[in-house]
Amino acid sequence: MTNTIIGNTIVIDGEISGEEDLVIRGTVKGKIALKESLYVENSGNVEADIETRNVEVSGTVTGNIVATDKVEIKTDGRMVGDIKAPRILIADGANFKGNVDMGR
Amino acid sequence: MAEVTTVIGDTIRFVGNLSGDEDLTIRGRVEGTIQLSKTLIVEPTGVVKADVTVQNAVISGVVVGNVTATDSVEILREGRMVGDIAAPRVILVDGASFRGQVDMGNLEGVKREPVKRVATTPSRPAAPPARKPDVKAAAAPVPTAKPEPVKAEAAKAAPVRAEPAARPVDSGKKAALEAPKPKLMTDKKRKVVVKKH
Repeated sequence: MTNTIIGNTIVIDGEISGEEDLVIRGTVKGKIALKESLYVENSGNVEADIETRNVEVSGTVTGNIVATDKVEIKTDGRMVGDIKAPRILIADGANFKGNVDMGR
Repeated sequence: MAEVTTVIGDTIRFVGNLSGDEDLTIRGRVEGTIQLSKTLIVEPTGVVKADVTVQNAVISGVVVGNVTATDSVEILREGRMVGDIAAPRVILVDGASFRGQVDMGNLEGVKREPVKRVATTPSRPAAPPARKPDVKAAAAPVPTAKPEPVKAEAAKAAPVRAEPAARPVDSGKKAALEAPKPKLMTDKKRKVVVKKH
């Protein structure tokens, strides 16, 4: 159950941290550190370094992602940056440029 | 099965340069270079230590080397790859193992390609603001005033200032009208800009 949603006209510039899921439909710049999941929806635009457990990208992410569980870039997702996670999924149609490090 | 698929069996070891115009299935070991105008399939027992240039690649085995594909590269669940991928379509299935660079070439979907790492290329995103000089000229004092207190994030903030103008054009114009208000906000180090239409 998602608790926090950043609406699609919201622009945040700064650091976000928390222990619950976060859904981004607007713009976030800076840093994101979560213990749970981050969902960047279609209208979401994130320019930040991200540290979380899971990430699902359906929007645009520019920045590095470090996840402890999984990173998923969905069909509408676009990402530029490095990914470091034990599980990484890139769906057909997704757009990605960067380094991938699965640890092992 | 009209198409003949060449198969390199699982006890075969091939070292050298391989090229062709048909699909190739590898179950054994290939070292060197592979060049195909069709599809390369590396099955779970296959081990490829080569630079690969193909149309499609479907990897279920081990590939060490760079893969350049004109169509797609797919790493399936048992696939393990170390190397760089350059292809317009890249698919990583859950369970796949991969380490290396991914380059999809034309990022037409990504709005700002030059902004790879937010901190590294501050100069390039200056181009987008030039596109909307009318809007940005009036709002110019607003974005430049902001990075002053936030110097630590200037590297991130400066290239990033251009972007909110690029996407919501209407709210950009309104931001120009509201220019005096955000100036007060420069007192705060962290600014949360909530733009409402």
